[in-house]
Amino acid sequence: MSGRAFGTQTPAAPPREKEHVLPTEAPITPSPFAEKVRGPVGRSCDKIDGVERVTGTKLYGADLIAREADLHAKVVRSEHAHAEVVSIDTKEALRVDGVLAVLTAEDVKGTNRHGLIRRDHPVLAKDRVRYRGDAVAIVVAKTEQAAAAGRDAVKVEYRVLPTVESIEQAMAPGAPHLQPGGNVMGGRRIRKGDADSALADSHVVVSETFRTQTVDHAFLDVEAGVARWDGELLTIRVSGQWVHEEARLVALALGLPVERVRIIQPAAGGAFGGREDISIQIYVGLAALRFAGKTVALRYDRAESMRARHKRHPMRIEYAMGADREGRLTAAKVAIYSDEGAYASTGIAVCRKMSSHATGPYRVPHVRVDVFGVHTNNNPTGAMRGFGATQIAIAYEGMMDRLAAKLGVDRVEFRRANLIRPGDAVTTGQVVPSPTAVECLEAVLRQYGSKSMPSEPLPTHLRRGWGVSVICFGMGYGDGFPDASRARVRIGADGCVEVYSGIVDVGQGAENVIAQVAAEEMGVGLEHTRVITADTHMTPESGSCSATRSTFFAGNAVRLAAGELKEKLLDAAGELLCVHPNELEFRGEEIRGRFDEGLCCSLGELVAAARKRGYELEAEALFKPRTICEDFETGQSPRAFITYMFGAHVSQVLVDVETGEVRVERHVACHDVGRAINPEAVRGQITGGVVQGIGMALMEEVVYRGGRILNPGFTDYILPTVRDVPPVECVVLESNDPLGPYGAKGVGEPPLIGAVPAVLSAIYDATGKAPATLPCNPERVWGMLTGS
Amino acid sequence: MFYQPTDMAEALRLRAELGPEVVTVCGGTDVVVAMNHGVARPEAFLDLSRVAGRDSVERVNGIYLLGGGVTFAQMAKLPVRALAEAARSVGGPQIRNVGTIAGNLGTASPAGDGSVALLALDAEVELSHVERGSRWVRLEEFFLDYKRTALQPDELITRVRFPSDFESVWYKIGKRGAVNISIVCCAIGRSPAGAYRIALGSVGPVPMRAMEAEAVLNGDSTDAAHRAVAYLADEVIERAAEAAELEAAPIDDQRSSARYREAMCRVLVRRLLRELRDG
Repeated sequence: MSGRAFGTQTPAAPPREKEHVLPTEAPITPSPFAEKVRGPVGRSCDKIDGVERVTGTKLYGADLIAREADLHAKVVRSEHAHAEVVSIDTKEALRVDGVLAVLTAEDVKGTNRHGLIRRDHPVLAKDRVRYRGDAVAIVVAKTEQAAAAGRDAVKVEYRVLPTVESIEQAMAPGAPHLQPGGNVMGGRRIRKGDADSALADSHVVVSETFRTQTVDHAFLDVEAGVARWDGELLTIRVSGQWVHEEARLVALALGLPVERVRIIQPAAGGAFGGREDISIQIYVGLAALRFAGKTVALRYDRAESMRARHKRHPMRIEYAMGADREGRLTAAKVAIYSDEGAYASTGIAVCRKMSSHATGPYRVPHVRVDVFGVHTNNNPTGAMRGFGATQIAIAYEGMMDRLAAKLGVDRVEFRRANLIRPGDAVTTGQVVPSPTAVECLEAVLRQYGSKSMPSEPLPTHLRRGWGVSVICFGMGYGDGFPDASRARVRIGADGCVEVYSGIVDVGQGAENVIAQVAAEEMGVGLEHTRVITADTHMTPESGSCSATRSTFFAGNAVRLAAGELKEKLLDAAGELLCVHPNELEFRGEEIRGRFDEGLCCSLGELVAAARKRGYELEAEALFKPRTICEDFETGQSPRAFITYMFGAHVSQVLVDVETGEVRVERHVACHDVGRAINPEAVRGQITGGVVQGIGMALMEEVVYRGGRILNPGFTDYILPTVRDVPPVECVVLESNDPLGPYGAKGVGEPPLIGAVPAVLSAIYDATGKAPATLPCNPERVWGMLTGS
Repeated sequence: MFYQPTDMAEALRLRAELGPEVVTVCGGTDVVVAMNHGVARPEAFLDLSRVAGRDSVERVNGIYLLGGGVTFAQMAKLPVRALAEAARSVGGPQIRNVGTIAGNLGTASPAGDGSVALLALDAEVELSHVERGSRWVRLEEFFLDYKRTALQPDELITRVRFPSDFESVWYKIGKRGAVNISIVCCAIGRSPAGAYRIALGSVGPVPMRAMEAEAVLNGDSTDAAHRAVAYLADEVIERAAEAAELEAAPIDDQRSSARYREAMCRVLVRRLLRELRDG
C-alpha cells in the first residue's frame, strides 16, 4: 500500500485488492433446503421484467409523461421555513402564456390533509407554512415550461415567523409551537426492571451521546407521473409503496369516495421508504380534477425532490450501558431525541421501532428507554430503510465496542457472551422464535478470517482496522397494528397461472418472489406464471412494500391462495373426468390420474370446462398473523413482531489519520433471511444495503441552515460511487422460519442497519477513537482524531 | 442558435463578432450543469468542439503546448504527474472524455483541479483575438477573482503551455473516491533548477500560489545554484507547510470549514514536499 491511498484514486491504479473480489456464487450456509429444491423457489432467476427495464420499454412515471401528457403541473413551494401565509396573488401567473389555472387551498374539496399516521400535513398550505418544501399552490399549464414560468410568477405574501432549526431549539422554553400540541409530538418508552439501580451496581458503565444525520433516500427515479379524471374515476399513475393507502389518502384529501380513485403503479426506480409518504399523487390528482378528460403530468427535478420529500430522522441518542465483572450486560438507559421535522409522517412508528430495538440482539435485564419525537422547521422525517432500527443500532453497537474496551475484553467475545440465544428475550420482553445472531456472527467471522487482515507495513499516516456489528430487526409492522396481505390466484384462459397482489415492486424484485412462490405451489414453470401487481382496481390489498414484509406477507398470501386454488382445480378435474379428486394429482401443467394414466386434462381444458359451467377457477386468500401491542407504560409485549431477522457484518477500513479520509477495503455481511427464494436477488439486496450503509457511515448528509437545504443535489449530497465500495462479500444464512413462505423471512432493511456500525467499529479499531457523530467524513474524523 | 466553426480562424472571427450573450462551449460540462440547474439560460452557443486541431498535444523545445480543447482524458495520459493525476480525479469517464482544459481554466473555479496543477507547473494561457492576435498570460495574472479571468469577451482561450521538465506531485481531499469535488487540493512543481511552485485549490477565491511557503523553500533567488542540490530538511518542510496554512484564505461552506481547509494545507504541503524529496 503506497501513501497515496486516497484522493488520487485513478483508473490507472485501481485501489482495490483483487484477491478480495467476491466469488459471484457466495456461500449459502447452512441450507436445510439443499436436497429439496425442485421448483423455482430457491433458484436465482432473472428479474421478470429485467429485459424491459434495461432496454427502456418498461414505463416509469417520466415515460408516461413523455407519451401521454396533455397538461403539466408545477408546485409553488414556501420560500420560508416558518411563516404565515398572508395572501396569494395569482393574477400575474394567470397572465403567463399557456397557464390555465392556479389552484390553492380554496380549490381542494376534501380535508386538504394527508399523513400516514396523523393527517397533519396540508396538501396546499392555507394560512401557515412549516418548512421550505411546503406546497402553497399548483399551477397547471399547456407546457412544462409555461407551468414553471407560472409557478415563478405566483406572488405569495408571507409574514415570517422564527425558525426552529434543531431539536435543542424546539425543546427550549419559549420556542414557537409548530403543531397545536407543542413541539414534542410524542414518543415511546421501555420500563423493564430497574435500570438506574442496576447501572449504579454495575462493575463498569459507559455513556455516550450519538448524533446521526439527516439522510435522503436518493432513489434514481425522481417523483413523476400522470393523472386523468374522466368524470367518474380519477386514475393516478405515480410510483408509491402502498397503492391502496395512497387511494385512501387521495380520496380523503380531495373529497372523493375512495372507489373513485384508482392508483396504478408504474415501474419504480427505487424507494427505500421515500415513496411511503404521499408525494405528487394528490397534487397531480387535484390538477386532473380541474381538467376532465385531460392527462395531467407532474414531475420534480432532483432539487425539488430533495426539498419536498421527507428524510431519515436525525437523532440525538444518549446511551448509558453497564456490565458486571464477568462481562455480562446489566442495564441500559437510553434517551432518544428525534427530529421529526414539520409534520408527523411515520415518526411515531419510528420512535416505537427505536424503543423496541433499543438493546438490539443482546440480553439486557434492566432497560429504561425514552424516545421523544420533536417537531422542527426542517423537512418532515419518516420512513427510510431501517426505520429507526438503523440509528439505534449505531448506538447499541457503539456501546458494545466501548464497554468491551473499558472491560479490557475482546469485542467479539463480549458480543458472543451477551447475544440472545434460544429462550432469551429482546428489549420488549418477546422471546425470539429462532435467534440466529450467534450463527450470523460466526459465519461472518469465518468469511472474513479466511483472508486475514493484510500485515504489510503502512506509511505512518495510515491506519488499518476492522470492525464488527450484530443486529436484529423485527419484521412487519408489529405492535398490534393490522398487518395483512391478500392475494388472488387464478388460471387464465391460456392456462397460465395469474397472480394478483396489491404489493408494489419498487425495483427490488417483489414480483419475482411472488411469481416464484405461485409457480412452486402450483407446480408449474415460472414461464407459465403471470404477475399483476399494485393496481387498486385490479389487485387485492396487500399492504405496503415496507417493513421488510413483502416476501413474508405477500408471499404467504400468494402461497395460501395457490393452495386453495389447487384444491379447487382437483375438484373441478374430478368432476370433469368423473373420478374422485383424491385419485388425481398435478403433473406439471396437467392433472392426471394417480392410478390411471389415461385420465388427463390440461389446466387450459379445465378452465374452459369450468367456465362453461359458470364458474371461474380462482382463489383468494388472506394472510394476517397477529401481533400484540407493546404496553404503553413498559413497552413490553410477548409478540411485538411476527419474527426477527439477524445479521452480522465485518468491515475493514483504512484511515488517513492526518486528513481524516476513510476507505472501506473489505465488507462482509451475513444475514439470516429464513430462506432465499431468489438467492441472486437476496445478494443484490445485501449489497445495496451495504452501499447505502457505507454512504450513511462516511458521507451522506443533508445540510440545513435556517431550514434551507444547502445541498439539494448530487453535486454536494455525496453518495458513494463504485470506487468507495469494495465488492461486498455476502453470506446468506437460511434458518427456515416456521411461518414464512417456504421458510423465508425477508431481507430488505437489515443489510443497511448492519453496515453502518461495522464501519464505525472499524474506524475505532484503526484509530483508537470511537466515532459518535455521523457521517464520518474527512473533516469530522480529523476533528475526532485531533480534538479540533 | 448554435455556431459551430471548423477552424480556429473562423472561431475567432465569430467570437469577435458575436456578443457576450453567446456562450463559448466545448465539452459543456460546466455550462450544461448550470443550464440544468436553471442558473444559466444561454440563447446561443459558440461551439468549439468541431474546430480542427483544438485537441493537439505538442512538446517542443522543452515546452508542452496543449490546444484549449484537450480533454481531461487526454491530460490523464500525459507523463506530467500532477496534471495527469488531477485530470484523472475529475468527474467520471464521461466527463473526462469531453471536459477540456480551456473550459476548466475559463470557468476559473477555485476548485478547478486542472487549474491548480497547471499553476504549479508555471503554465501560461494563450488568449487570442481575430485582429489583435494572441497574448500569453501567466496563470497568476489570468485568475482575477472568484470565477473572473483576464479573458476578454471577444477572445478565446486557444492554447496552454508549460515547461515539460518540472517534477510535480498532486493530492486532492474530497468526500469520496471518484466524481469528487475537492475540499482542498494541492499541487507542487519543482523546476530543474530546484525552484518550488506550490498551488492550492479551494482555499481562496481563485486557485492560488502559496508564495510564503515557496519563499521558505526557494529563499534568495540569487542562490539558485545552491538550491538545486539542497536537501529539504524536515524542519524546512515544516516551516513551508506552516506558511501555507497561514496564507491560505479559505471560507466555510457546506463542503467544509475554513479551519479544516487551513489545516489540510499544512498536511498536504508537508506530505507532497516529502514525496518530492523522497521520490
